Amino acid sequence: MAIVTQYYLVLSAAVFCIGVYGILTRSNALMFLMSVELLLNAANINLVAFSFYYGNLTGQVFTLFTMALAAAEVAVGIGIILVLYRNFEDIDVTKAATMRW
Amino acid sequence: MTSRPRFATDVNYANGTAALALFGVLAWTFVNADFLPPLGFGEGEVTRSIGFAMFDMLELIPDGHGETEGFLVAFIVIAVVLDAALDGAVMLARREGEDESLVTALADGGRRLTTRERDGLDDSGPAADSGPDPAADSWEGED
Repeated sequence: MAIVTQYYLVLSAAVFCIGVYGILTRSNALMFLMSVELLLNAANINLVAFSFYYGNLTGQVFTLFTMALAAAEVAVGIGIILVLYRNFEDIDVTKAATMRW
Repeated sequence: MTSRPRFATDVNYANGTAALALFGVLAWTFVNADFLPPLGFGEGEVTRSIGFAMFDMLELIPDGHGETEGFLVAFIVIAVVLDAALDGAVMLARREGEDESLVTALADGGRRLTTRERDGLDDSGPAADSGPDPAADSWEGED
């Protein structure tokens, strides 16, 4: 028996809102990175759910590419956080308020 | 100063209610939406078909898996992007200056030495949990 599409959408909304919650409440750059990852994965859940809904594989293949892009984004993000720590001795995103220091 | 994990005390809960409200709106919308039963994929292995679609071998995909386009170009582009991201991460993490080795990208940045530790007077390792050490501020280094 197939699970109805609404449940996938509610799960996706929950994951997305957890990510939004993390971004809104925390100021730690690593927490930001993890929260952005949750946002991306919520989109992936939607892609897979509608791929199943329409019986079309394109959404699932596209999800794989989204995951690869997320990996690239995290690699660059961690590099940026390393530079942030080196220059501000903190990874609090509210302290990095200037482009030059 | 140790670096053990602690509960965050700087959490802005007031902003978080916006996310909760967003979830309320989204969940209400989705639960009340009308969807037909999902079509599904029928016979055949989905994973195998994903592999065929990714490498443009569309004729091998069973009919029950729907119209799927080839993704070979996207696959190559993503591979290049991942490579560029790896290079970018190493470039960002590399410390400018005298030491250009890759090891600095893998280190955690360490912690500042106290004055006593720098002078070799204190070899007892990291101090007990006593909060920020005021002596650490006397460290003289490039900023």
